[in-house]
Amino acid sequence: MRRRRFVQALAAVPAAPVLAAQTAAVPQNPAAPPAQGGRGGRGAGGGRGAQEVAPVELTTSDTVAAPVARFFTPPQFAALRRLSGLLTPPLKGNPGALECGAPEFLDFLLGVSPADRQQLYRNGLDALNALAKKQFGKPFAEVDDAQAHTILQPLLVAVPWTYDPPRDPLKHFLFAARQDVETATRNSPEWSAAAAGTGRRGGAALVWNAIDPVYRG
Amino acid sequence: MAAKEYDVLIVGSGHSGGMAANVLTRKGISCLMLNAGPEADFARDRTAKPVSELPYRGFNKPGRLPHVYQATEANANQWVDEKEVPYTHDPAKPYNWVRVRLLGGRSLFWARQSFRLSDFEFKAADLEGSGENWPISLADLAPYYSQVEAIFRVTGRKEGWPQFPDGNFVEGGGFGGGAESRTIRRFTELANGRGIGVSRMRSALGVNGMASSLNLLLPDAISTGKLDIVSNAIVREISVDKKTGLADGAHFVERHSRREMHVKARVVVLAAGSLESTRLLLNSGLANSSGVLGHYLHDQIYGVSVVASVPEARDGKAPAGLMGGSAFVPRFRNLKKEEKRDFIKGYCMLVSSGAGASPNHFAAYGEELRKLLDRYAGSCVSGTIYGERPARFENHVRIDKEVADAWGIPVLHVDVKDGDNEHNMAKDAANTLEELFQAAGWDIVSKTDRFYPPGYSIHEVGTARMGDDPRKSVLNQWNQTHDIRNLLVVDGAAFVTCGWQNPTMTILALSMRASEHLGEEMRKGNV
Repeated sequence: MRRRRFVQALAAVPAAPVLAAQTAAVPQNPAAPPAQGGRGGRGAGGGRGAQEVAPVELTTSDTVAAPVARFFTPPQFAALRRLSGLLTPPLKGNPGALECGAPEFLDFLLGVSPADRQQLYRNGLDALNALAKKQFGKPFAEVDDAQAHTILQPLLVAVPWTYDPPRDPLKHFLFAARQDVETATRNSPEWSAAAAGTGRRGGAALVWNAIDPVYRG
Repeated sequence: MAAKEYDVLIVGSGHSGGMAANVLTRKGISCLMLNAGPEADFARDRTAKPVSELPYRGFNKPGRLPHVYQATEANANQWVDEKEVPYTHDPAKPYNWVRVRLLGGRSLFWARQSFRLSDFEFKAADLEGSGENWPISLADLAPYYSQVEAIFRVTGRKEGWPQFPDGNFVEGGGFGGGAESRTIRRFTELANGRGIGVSRMRSALGVNGMASSLNLLLPDAISTGKLDIVSNAIVREISVDKKTGLADGAHFVERHSRREMHVKARVVVLAAGSLESTRLLLNSGLANSSGVLGHYLHDQIYGVSVVASVPEARDGKAPAGLMGGSAFVPRFRNLKKEEKRDFIKGYCMLVSSGAGASPNHFAAYGEELRKLLDRYAGSCVSGTIYGERPARFENHVRIDKEVADAWGIPVLHVDVKDGDNEHNMAKDAANTLEELFQAAGWDIVSKTDRFYPPGYSIHEVGTARMGDDPRKSVLNQWNQTHDIRNLLVVDGAAFVTCGWQNPTMTILALSMRASEHLGEEMRKGNV
């Protein structure tokens, strides 16, 4: 019996399960599981041993509600929105960072991040506001594109290696923000919906569920 | 109670433990395998989801796996939880210990690059005038490599180069196969002109795309009826018969219930991975009469990279056959005693053609950045390396008595630091790649000689090294501890030098050789 179960498990192993293939985003868009006979079909037979339940169709919180920004101060969040729109604008028919809610998502992500990452962002956004006020007499959220470029361009550096960010904290912040805004945009439900609308496939991942976790009661 | 006594207790279920079980059970020897984690069901435990539906949009859950750079939001559950099984290190000396406790261990996820060590590694001390030789040579291990390569269906191109020993290769396919593009041919010509040999990647095809203990080693062992496997069994300590001084079993704790158990065995084989096996020996207070247990921890440097763009391939104008494919350059430095450099040992180079540039490569944003990425798309040739870190006594692990894991077992403190040799090697590699790419007429897009912290390669080895001298080594050439002949370590802890090669084939061959010898010794009544 044990041998049989072992072989069954192996038979379920798909081709090419190397690490990269298992974990990388793959261009597929899995369809929702088909309804199994609807609610009337549940518990076919009705006995105590047959307790099949048709899956309930759920929606997501992003579909029905708007996130509430809680981590950044209002001036910081306004600067983050302005920065996000500049770093990842709508291009080639794709929605941009603002349309994809990237600033709101990053407010959530940074709120649960380690303290050093939080400080990098808070200090970076404060510094952008300070530079904008010094150079143009207004917060970063209110500078026009040319003024923003004047502020940002000296802070941008090419980085040969992801794990070797610039040592200057403000340049480090901008390097991190550029990556994070792009990721938060491309992996958003809004980007996925826009891609589906044009017939393109959105990114998907093969996700390992929690396996026999230890519960600490 | 129904306590059984087994011939052999095997701790760990990855490549080394799976091989031990495979060899020993086929000799009729009863084995119990204890594995610290659960069994994964590849169908039940994985789900395809749009990234946009993941809670963190593809970012890692912040702070969850700070030492596992390979972790993603999708694969986070396959790794050992660092809060559940922590380890400590000086913040100034980072170490990435990347672990899997699922049945099959890291054999479920390895990259399948498959190489033999050469006598440039086995007899490195003879070449370099320092360090220690292995107590065995390539000739001793070659017959076992051949058997392992057959089981794992290793593919590769034979070259006849002593630093890149050929194997028992299967025909057809594999990584790096197919026709070479003109960029790869150009790179090869330039490298050859500098006396550098260029080959192809060697990889294990496995079966159905998988080359793990779980599908290639354990099924045969189970079919003998001689193997019992217990999952979620975390071994706390090896037990010893006070009268004989021999190992007689192990204490373990059930992962969920935390119930303490003891199992008896005539022989104990540790195959939990270099550092877990070493941790177990240290926590048991065994096999350390030499004082070198836990020392000589080393692995390989990863991260050095150079990216160049081929001018005629930019703006989507690459003609057919120009881009694509890859090349593999085995070690070419320090192959002769008279070669004098500011580093010892060597590195391999991996070159691939046809990718684009990274946003990190440009000081731009928004539409300007998008145009640059479009311009460089498909035009790049990139090179990276795997370089050997020397094994140094001072790079070691010890028990941290102040910190315990979720089961109350003291954890490891890792104390490892890179030296000038690693940095000088990395500089040489980056400069060599840059010079070759520039000679080809390609424009350098980025270059770095920085590399990841120790451990990142997931090739950690050496903490219970083998040797002929019990004063300088933990194991003999048959992977038996010098101190206790019925206690073996058959994983990477036995390594004396790691080389630049992925260690998996060597771990498998060593485990096979040790297990064959153990079986014979048990038959003779010597163990």
